[in-house]
Amino acid sequence: MAGMFAGPQEMMGYSFNTAPTSASEPRQHSFYPYTDNGGSTLGISGADFTIMAGDTRSTSGYSINSRHVPKLFLIGGEGPKNKGARIVLSVVGFAADGDALKEKLDKEVKMYKYQHGKPMTVSACAQRLSHILYNKRFFPYYVHAILGGIDEEGKGALYSYDPVGSYEREQCRAAGAASSLIMPFLDNQVNFKNHHIPGSGEGHDLKPVVATPLPKETVIELVRDAFTSAVERHIEVGDGLQMMILTKDGVEEQLLPLKKD
Amino acid sequence: MGGFDFSNHSRNAALHAQGFPLPTATSTGTTIVGCLFDGGVVIAADTRATSGPIVADKNCEKLHFITPQIWCAGAGTAADTEFTTSLISSNLELHSLSTGRQPRVVTCMTMLKQHLFRYQGHIGAYLVVAGCDPTGAHLFTVHAHGSTDKLPYVTMGSGSLAAMSVFETAWKGNMTRQGAVDLCSEAIKAGIFNDLGSGSNVDVCIITPEKATLLRNHITPNEREKKMRDYRFKKGTTAVLNQKIITRADISKYVTVHELDDGTPVAAEKMDVDT
Amino acid sequence: MFIARSEYDRGINTFSPEGRLFQVEYSLEAIKLGSTAIGVSTSSGVILGVEKRVTSTLLETSSVEKIVEIDRHIGCAMSGLQADARSMVEHARVESQNHAFHYNEPLRVESCTQAICDLALRFGEGAEGEESIMSRPFGVALLIAGFDEDGPSLYHAEPSGTFYRYDAKAIGSGSEGAQAELQNEFHKSLTLEEAELLVLKTLKQVMEEKLDSKNVQLASVTKDKGFRIYQDAEMEEVVAKLPKN
Repeated sequence: MAGMFAGPQEMMGYSFNTAPTSASEPRQHSFYPYTDNGGSTLGISGADFTIMAGDTRSTSGYSINSRHVPKLFLIGGEGPKNKGARIVLSVVGFAADGDALKEKLDKEVKMYKYQHGKPMTVSACAQRLSHILYNKRFFPYYVHAILGGIDEEGKGALYSYDPVGSYEREQCRAAGAASSLIMPFLDNQVNFKNHHIPGSGEGHDLKPVVATPLPKETVIELVRDAFTSAVERHIEVGDGLQMMILTKDGVEEQLLPLKKD
Repeated sequence: MGGFDFSNHSRNAALHAQGFPLPTATSTGTTIVGCLFDGGVVIAADTRATSGPIVADKNCEKLHFITPQIWCAGAGTAADTEFTTSLISSNLELHSLSTGRQPRVVTCMTMLKQHLFRYQGHIGAYLVVAGCDPTGAHLFTVHAHGSTDKLPYVTMGSGSLAAMSVFETAWKGNMTRQGAVDLCSEAIKAGIFNDLGSGSNVDVCIITPEKATLLRNHITPNEREKKMRDYRFKKGTTAVLNQKIITRADISKYVTVHELDDGTPVAAEKMDVDT
Repeated sequence: MFIARSEYDRGINTFSPEGRLFQVEYSLEAIKLGSTAIGVSTSSGVILGVEKRVTSTLLETSSVEKIVEIDRHIGCAMSGLQADARSMVEHARVESQNHAFHYNEPLRVESCTQAICDLALRFGEGAEGEESIMSRPFGVALLIAGFDEDGPSLYHAEPSGTFYRYDAKAIGSGSEGAQAELQNEFHKSLTLEEAELLVLKTLKQVMEEKLDSKNVQLASVTKDKGFRIYQDAEMEEVVAKLPKN
């Protein structure tokens, strides 16, 4: 009976199969190379811009590793600060894998420019990122990636990925610890889900509001509200908000403080 | 009737063995502290309650009333701290009545540890017990398995290490009342900002032989920022798929209906709501 | 001549004291034995033309393939050892497909030419001393025509691994005369139809046989239709437009 319920300090081993075994029995050891570093990211694309955002807290368990570990990366710029980059990658999940993925994609985009004499388009970069993720199908990068840029027609482009490379172009996407809190908010405020035009009909005939691209200023306000709200209700989100605003003129980065509790 | 009902135990054990997950309890992954000073004792707590990584309550009360001169800070499973402290509070009142004496802090601590030991740690209550009685000011910790400690300054909960680092840095003997309140608040703040299980505000309770003072939300270092946009929806935004009208005549078959005078505010329990 | 050079003729990677790689130079000679191929670039597309040497009346002319497709938007004409060209074209096709697979976009013409030239240098041993995959340089030159985001373009790739972009270029046995003719006749405002005639006219001048619709082959690369080899009927139509003499 003892050990069937674990106390709060050993909450992880809440199983009936982990009763202590005697020393003579064979014991299976395991190595788990992944950690969840918490945090959240989101991206929203507009008519001629894309906004990417992420909090800057890095956690493990109930501890804060650092209050400033960026989750947004400039891809394919020049020099150590990636000047002139036009693509942004956000990664949330296991930070070490996120870093490795960023380094690999950045290298590939830079090599592409040398080999083909032109900057990589977001759609080409999106396809490449999918392949990089799928190449590790059986030992995946433990990340939820979002790629943002401006497409060849000048429209905001946003691609979101699962850890093994399945991807899709979308209007908006939230990822990471608080994604289940933020995504429904974006569905409602960006794509106007569950919004109807008052008085346009009865019951099922009530006309839904048709989603139109939002202006940049509105999107920035939505992003800030999404994060200040996620901070209120998710313990792994906080400390700082990193935002990158992509337009035809390049990438503008903003850092804003978030609550630190 | 009182007591626990174990009739579902075997069924739940079998279900869990087959991989059915146990329900998650709201835990006050917490920072709680206590500190003696010259002429009394102070306990303090943060106000965050969590359910996994989600904040269940941003401003919960972790300082529990036991007797007018004994208070208790609780960490662990929220329901266990709540019920254990109120059970001991009742029994201590009865004990006081039958003995005709003021309840003592050691008595409270002894009743708690015996109760918790009987349940072998399954009642997940981790407590800091503090109070003043005719024998002086006392401060104890009680763990879920029934062990206790008596110390001049104590911390418990997931933020206990963060809080203890403050005590170990700044604690001195023979402190003043204000010094103890400030030190406890600093210790709780260390938990709030460095432990993810703790957050929001600082509650403090000061107990002297004369009286106990509860400083609810003594420090509020985490006020919510004002939202940038207005999220009120236009009336008629939500599609109404069907409606049913229940008349007053229908409803009065089941409940008593009172007429309210126009403009008279209805008294109802106040709730904390984000605006 | 043979005796004097023999010492430096064996090793493909051995420079002569004068700083020459004889095997590479010989491979350029092999191209001069090949049939003539011409490419002309215009603002709306590129025209490729080759002569088919019909060595026997019993030869089925349609089996002589000297213009081939690399991708929907790139094609090439060859002169020299045709068998060598097969492996170069195969390499280019794989590169082009890989690019589309990885990047979801067509390969640029210059990148395609570069990929072919990378292969052309794989004779001799590798940088880390690996066993070589080819015993000698290729004996064929290519005219690579394509249409990408920068418009139409024409490249010439040699067995030495060098390549250049041209407005108009002739390779093969008749290249000297043909190039001189192109130099005189080419101008930036050529239409695609004018380019067709320029290619045929130039071929006609340097061919030993009398030009007809069976012993020449034309192909075009345009934005809308991509790479396309002319059908027999079209060839007859274009050849008929040539001034008789």
